[in-house]
Amino acid sequence: MNAKPGDRIKITAKDEIKEGILMPNEETESIVIKLDNGYNIGIGKKKVKEIKVIEKYTLKETSPKKDIKTDTKKKTISILHTGGTIASKVDYRTGGVIARFTPEEILAMFPELKEIANIRSRLVANMFSEDMRFKHYTVMCKAIEEEINHGVDGVILTHGTDTLGYSAAALSFALENIHIPVILVGSQRSSDRGSSDAAVNLICAANFITKTDFAGVAICMHESTSDNNCLIMPACKTRKMHTSRRDAFKVVNDKAIARINYDTGRIDFIKKGHGAKENNKRLALRAKFEEKIGLLKGHPNMFPEQFKFFKNYKGLVIEGTGLGQTQVGTPNEITKIHMKNLEAIKQIVKNGCIVVMASQCIFGKVQMHVYSNAIDLVKVGVIPGQDMLPETAFIKLAWLLGNCKKEEVKELIGKNLRGEINERLMQEEFLG
Amino acid sequence: MELDYSGLEFKCGIECHQQLEGKKLFCNCLTLNSDKEPDIRFERRLKAVAGETGQVDIAAKYESEKNKKFVYEADSADTCLIEYDEQPPEQLNRQALETAVKVALLLNAKVVDEIQVMRKTVVDGSNVSGFQRTALVAMNGFIETSLGKINIPTICLEEEAAQKIEESDDFIVYRLDRLGIPLIEIATDSSIKNPEHAKEAAAFIGMVLRSLENVKRGLGTIRQDVNISIAKGSRTEIKGFQDLRSIPKVIEYEVRRQLEAIRQNKQLEKEVRKAETDFTTSFLRPLPGAARLYPETDVAPIKITKEYVEKLKKELPALLTDKIEGLENKYKISKELAKELIDNAHFEIFAKKFSKIEPLTIANALTSIPKEIKARFNLDSAKLKNEDFEEILGYLNEGKISKEAIIDLLIKKMKNEKIDLKEYSKISEKALEEEIKKLIEEKPGLSIGAYMGILMGKYRGKADGSIIMEMLKQYL
Repeated sequence: MNAKPGDRIKITAKDEIKEGILMPNEETESIVIKLDNGYNIGIGKKKVKEIKVIEKYTLKETSPKKDIKTDTKKKTISILHTGGTIASKVDYRTGGVIARFTPEEILAMFPELKEIANIRSRLVANMFSEDMRFKHYTVMCKAIEEEINHGVDGVILTHGTDTLGYSAAALSFALENIHIPVILVGSQRSSDRGSSDAAVNLICAANFITKTDFAGVAICMHESTSDNNCLIMPACKTRKMHTSRRDAFKVVNDKAIARINYDTGRIDFIKKGHGAKENNKRLALRAKFEEKIGLLKGHPNMFPEQFKFFKNYKGLVIEGTGLGQTQVGTPNEITKIHMKNLEAIKQIVKNGCIVVMASQCIFGKVQMHVYSNAIDLVKVGVIPGQDMLPETAFIKLAWLLGNCKKEEVKELIGKNLRGEINERLMQEEFLG
Repeated sequence: MELDYSGLEFKCGIECHQQLEGKKLFCNCLTLNSDKEPDIRFERRLKAVAGETGQVDIAAKYESEKNKKFVYEADSADTCLIEYDEQPPEQLNRQALETAVKVALLLNAKVVDEIQVMRKTVVDGSNVSGFQRTALVAMNGFIETSLGKINIPTICLEEEAAQKIEESDDFIVYRLDRLGIPLIEIATDSSIKNPEHAKEAAAFIGMVLRSLENVKRGLGTIRQDVNISIAKGSRTEIKGFQDLRSIPKVIEYEVRRQLEAIRQNKQLEKEVRKAETDFTTSFLRPLPGAARLYPETDVAPIKITKEYVEKLKKELPALLTDKIEGLENKYKISKELAKELIDNAHFEIFAKKFSKIEPLTIANALTSIPKEIKARFNLDSAKLKNEDFEEILGYLNEGKISKEAIIDLLIKKMKNEKIDLKEYSKISEKALEEEIKKLIEEKPGLSIGAYMGILMGKYRGKADGSIIMEMLKQYL
């Protein structure tokens, strides 16, 4: 078959003749065409006798006019893209999704941004966030540094939501002394549908950047299922807590920084003492991350091999149960193997792996002096991760190991550097 | 003045939308269409999304320019995160697909080899996602009518939209309970010849749909859209017909409206118009353009095998019209009774089980008697259970009661009163004869009607009225 997706073709099959536009189809059993009524249907390949190309597809590039003027009275925001979701639109001919990233294209999609700020925009990476590796954090950091050198007043980093929380933590550690706002924005419904949450999240983030003195890394996403308010949430204390809802991101063991009303643009600070701009602050980029870091979830029926697996790793976060336990106690015959679990943890620590404990409860702080299992873990060298999210502890450990000496790492892991540890947990900070 | 439709180059096609029973098309919610106090409420906005050419579809733009907020309300009994556009859809409901394929086969259509669910852009807020999920199931069907064949180019399976309940300048309120109910869409070509013909086609398609088991019945569960055009006029889609009878009147009004506009040299636009209760039409919105469909990538395409189609062919139900005729002939009952019994699965079961009773008596017990109970005694006869009918008809079948007792006994059942069959035990013909003789002796010279009144008062439910009458005639 010499027909290509987008071509208008006529298919003669055993029992029918169909005309339409050939659609891309990875699967081999049927040929999918778009009929003139807009519907796609598949025709069994086996019964096809002839395919005739009636009209070749020629791509018409219709990029918007390049007539964006800089308004010197307005602040400048740089929008850096790492994934296709937020800036994508549908090719109605083939049904494929095309990503759009130039400032002209972004403003054509979100014209409201023009009223708020001068917009710069470029592509840093184009990927699903679940595929991100530590090296991508370094790429993002360098791009942000370049934008800062260019003199922008703030950066919006668009990002897939799956690992947005990890990236936010990574940037917040790596961008030391950051003196402008860097806001990570994702969307849970892609921009190619009318109901996308992308516009509301982006516009709220842009409003927050231009109207406040905030400096630092934060996340801007929906507060509830409604399109009315967004929250600015702390980079190291925010977690994706739902697979699909717009308000999937929730602050854990802390408060949101601010609330932005989409309709009015009104901003209310929630958390006192947010990171404000300081004149003498200048970015010092420390964007190295140790690659060999693990994250292990504790569960019933643990085997020593699961711990031993990390013997050549530089760091390991155990997502323990409750206050910071895992299976190392031997209350009866059946649990005898737990002695070997403890021995395995002792061994990997001896091998030079730094082991940190966080809790799979997500909310609350580990407290490793309460139960004997945790006391034994501390004795063999496990370090309590305070009230850090397991994911944040994981990123922090990788960052510390990439930038500090081992002894420093052990000391700093439990100390607050970027708001990742909250010394006073409050009543309203649970599932708020 | 009668209109000459062929002279006007009248073109007309209809679309029928039929709701299905069971679960929703892309989630596991039941299709209850609750109207209880909503416990879910949220607000959204929709953006018109630019198409391939960078141009926003005119209908889409028309809606989004209004820049309205959409307020959604729902009962959580029959809605979930999927209706709120907060969760990807489940895979297509197979029971609904099966019904759609059966409808397609009854309409002589060819089922496609592979079904692809599409997203049809809708920005009036009636779909929370901003699009309606729809799939083309079959093509190239036809129906036979009194004025010849009408082609059915497409049969689709799609999601029902949310129901608008309030509109102001700034916002529209929708109820989400209806959203996602499976809908079969049957579209004819434009070969309908006149307004009455449109009604005939709609009635026939409706009958075919109701021949299937899990289609919804009742107000609002089937809706027709009519597309018409005339020479020098403009294509108009009319929605919201109250019932089939209004179709010809509304079409005629619309044709006359267009003729008047043509006469006055007014520009006619392609529009969607609403059928009003006074049989006029009013502007709703511009007619949507083409190219508003793109693939729903969250739902896997479905291959339709030959074996699957063959299996469903064997399970096709008889058409309602054939079923009615069948009942009429088999049980010697009137067409009206047969129509009423068509949805009562128990009639045929009872007719078989209680072979000593006339089918007509069973038919009346299931249809007219409950109506009489409601009308005369103001009792909710819909509460009568099949077991109640079965029990009472059983007594009749065993000769323990007369058919006159059915109504009394059903009422007792409804009131949960104890049934003493002795009260209703049939009086023997011999005893009855004695009673009649005695009565005529005691009160001679009365009219036959007067004797009948006395006897019926005494033996209602114990003796058959026609037998008493017969005997009276003998002795008078």
